[in-house]
Amino acid sequence: MSEQLQNIVKQQQEQTQAPSREEKDDNIIQLVGFIVGNEEFAVPILSIQEIIKPIEWTKVPFTPDFVLGVFNLRGNVLPLIDLRKKFNAPQAEFDDDVRFIVIKVGDELAGFVIDRLTEALRIDSNTILPPPDTSMERDAIIEGIARKDDRIITILKINLLLKADNE
Amino acid sequence: MDEMQEIMEDFLVEAFEMIEQIDQDLVELESNPDDLDLLNKIFRVAHTIKGSGSFLNLDVLTKLTHHMEDVLNKARKGELKITADIMDVILESVDMMKALLENIRDNGTDITDDIDINPVVAKLDAISQGKNLSEVSETNNDSSNSQKEETVEVADEDELTEEDYANMSPEEIEAEIERLIQKRAEEDRARREAKKKQQAQNQEKNSNNSDEKKEPKKESKPETPAPVESKPKTAPKQEAKKSVPAKKVSTVEQTIRVDVNRLDNLMNLIGELVLSKNRLIKIYNDVEERYEGEHFLDELNQVVSSISIVTTDLQIAVMKTRMLQIGKVFNKFPRVVRDLSRELGKKVKLIIKGEETELDKSIIEEIGDPLMHMIRNSVDHGIEPPEERIKLGKPEEGIIELKAYNEGNQIVIEIADDGKGMDPEVLKQKALEKGIISEKEADMMSDKEAFMLIFKAGFSTAAKVTNVSGRGVGMDVVKTNVEKLNGIIEVDSVPGKGSVFKIKIPLTLAIIQALLVSAQEELFAVPLANVIETVRITLEDISTVEGKSVLKLRDEVLPLVNMSDIFKIEKILGINQYLYVVVLGVGASKVGLIVDGLIGQEEIVIKSLGEYLKGIKGIAGATIRGDGKVTLIVDVAALMQLAKDTHSKTIVTASVETKKKKEKPEDYVILVVDDSNTDRKIMKNAIKPLGFTIKEATNGEEALNIIKNDSNIDAALVDIEMPKMDGYTLAQEIRKYNRFKNLPLIAVTSRTTKSDRVRGVEVGMNEYITKPYTPEYLANVLKRNLKLS
Repeated sequence: MSEQLQNIVKQQQEQTQAPSREEKDDNIIQLVGFIVGNEEFAVPILSIQEIIKPIEWTKVPFTPDFVLGVFNLRGNVLPLIDLRKKFNAPQAEFDDDVRFIVIKVGDELAGFVIDRLTEALRIDSNTILPPPDTSMERDAIIEGIARKDDRIITILKINLLLKADNE
Repeated sequence: MDEMQEIMEDFLVEAFEMIEQIDQDLVELESNPDDLDLLNKIFRVAHTIKGSGSFLNLDVLTKLTHHMEDVLNKARKGELKITADIMDVILESVDMMKALLENIRDNGTDITDDIDINPVVAKLDAISQGKNLSEVSETNNDSSNSQKEETVEVADEDELTEEDYANMSPEEIEAEIERLIQKRAEEDRARREAKKKQQAQNQEKNSNNSDEKKEPKKESKPETPAPVESKPKTAPKQEAKKSVPAKKVSTVEQTIRVDVNRLDNLMNLIGELVLSKNRLIKIYNDVEERYEGEHFLDELNQVVSSISIVTTDLQIAVMKTRMLQIGKVFNKFPRVVRDLSRELGKKVKLIIKGEETELDKSIIEEIGDPLMHMIRNSVDHGIEPPEERIKLGKPEEGIIELKAYNEGNQIVIEIADDGKGMDPEVLKQKALEKGIISEKEADMMSDKEAFMLIFKAGFSTAAKVTNVSGRGVGMDVVKTNVEKLNGIIEVDSVPGKGSVFKIKIPLTLAIIQALLVSAQEELFAVPLANVIETVRITLEDISTVEGKSVLKLRDEVLPLVNMSDIFKIEKILGINQYLYVVVLGVGASKVGLIVDGLIGQEEIVIKSLGEYLKGIKGIAGATIRGDGKVTLIVDVAALMQLAKDTHSKTIVTASVETKKKKEKPEDYVILVVDDSNTDRKIMKNAIKPLGFTIKEATNGEEALNIIKNDSNIDAALVDIEMPKMDGYTLAQEIRKYNRFKNLPLIAVTSRTTKSDRVRGVEVGMNEYITKPYTPEYLANVLKRNLKLS
């Protein structure tokens, strides 16, 4: 019984870890789009564990200012990263649209503060352009640029989002 | 193949367990060379490892243990007297056996270039043959003789069959096994009959039981080839291979092996449960306040307390499953002390007490090295050479006592020697020379603090450097290791009499007792194991030494640091008359930590901050409190390191300077909160003549936001009846923040009943003014609260 369960869990994990493998057949990748500052970003839908409304967090000393602190997600302590600060977007109060996106890479979870969600996107991976060839530090975490209608959507590398870069 | 792997793993686990015991037994044997029980025990280990080793084709190991067995067998039969020199060789071979086993564990084979068993084998041979030639006559008494003869026979037969197997064809082996089983069956039958007879004779229940128990033991001692008489059905393979006796002995204990990961998992689950329990208690307290006197509260109370008791019991029970006896660590020390004292030409006796004291597995694994170092240190630096001891009128043999016992939630490990002790003055002088402390520090240092100097990096008191200790790296490593376990070291010493080292460590690492403190608005949990005491002081109690703040507490001088400075928390609170100091102790050092509030003691579950935030200085992890909020856990050892860098005299004054000076009336900001425009106008008109700056809010929620975001508000005039958030709630919310504890809140309302006034006081209003009021009255009340004449 427990073995069966483990197998199922394992299968699911494999699916989440390699989301692109299945999708490649029809070249469609599924993303979740959101706004930070004046730009639209997106991350793979399968990397998102959940999206929650802002809850209280605890400050942590000796961290860069975009790390707001840690918060409690059903008994787990997760870091909370303010993408607006990280991307140097204009600072605004938390309004009703602000959400925490909880992203999972491997075993690591983290929450990211975004201004508001847009929609779930289905994008042909062939239409995704490589990131602009600049040396800007911010661009390192860009996976590619997608276009939808006349919107420009920046797809983020989630594994780099979760890498501690506490310079 | 898998089966083979499994057998191999079982063999290794068993072998390491036996070897752990053997060291101690061997040292004991040296002092009691005639102890037959001990000899048999040791022999059995060599024998078992040899047997299983040959089965697993571990030829090198088999060869080594075979020769060991020879020597031990001779000793067992009384043909060989174990002298210190022979013991050295035996110990050497045991070490080699260990090395081989480790190699097998790591590489799966005992063939390695690093270990050459031939010299040891040659020595072992020399010992057994050398004695063979002189054929010492039997000196032992008769009773043991008969037993021995039996064993000789048996052992010989063993050897025979053992070697034969290698050359036998499978069919032959089958036949041989068949033969052995039959033989066993016959023996069993005979024995059972004998036993039956005996049982008939002994009618009493008691003796029946003890007989049954004794019988197998007696049998297994003289190492019969097939000693399992209680289980004749055991697989023939096992019967032929004689690893069985040891296994039989261990099955007497009712134990099972469990993967540590499973226990860790269980511990995590319990952690969650403890958090939920804390939360439940908090909710119950809230509910109790609100529904006081209601009948269901009783029932709820019962449920909550029973859950909390069961959770605690469960936690203890699971903690216990992770506990190991500290004897596991202590076992290696007799050998260490023996080798060392021989090497140094000293006579030292190690007395071990409380080896049954239990500790969490993870701590057991960490504590070995520091203890080893301290014991070596005691032998090397503590105990004097024999001549010197005789001169001093002490017994020639020095004594080191290693003791473990429980003390509250902690375990104490004590290492006491009766050696030369330490002289605080000498230590201070030494530290001065090495530039570890300054002249002034030396003067102020108490004896206890002076002893702690030995744990400073770069401090070594040994005049000559030996390869044992005295490289000046040891003791500070001990300190670091103990600190890693949240432990404390205490030292006491009397010159000429000896020294006592006490290591105090918490029983477990996953769930701890913590003291919750606040620094400004933020809460932190400090492991209670590191809290020595808390004191309340006034500003005058702080003195300055070399530009640094210190606190004189009884006979000690503590460096003082402000927690807000360490964690660079912005200071928003004014200075109170009293300051709270948490005296922290880690390893050997102490520091006074100034905090803004002491919240209380709580059981907390340590959670990691995860990969992203790992390695933050001064933070050991986080915990989730009863209200679901995350509270950071202070890493006291790292905090004290940080304290050194932060330690300066600006400790308390910093927050004063940040407060703006208010001289003119315009510097004062008054918030007027009322939903009625008219009422606000009346209030404004009343206080306008005073020249204050006035801000307005139309409801409680708005007012709260203004106050939170603009901390320059000096006082608030608050209406009670308001939409969204009323005046009572507003006052309650404001008072939740430490920094607004003293903000004057003046209720201005038309609610005039007494209960309204009482409610106003309860929620934290400073004044209660009822409408209508005269403008002068309002102005006066406001002035009084702002302390303006």
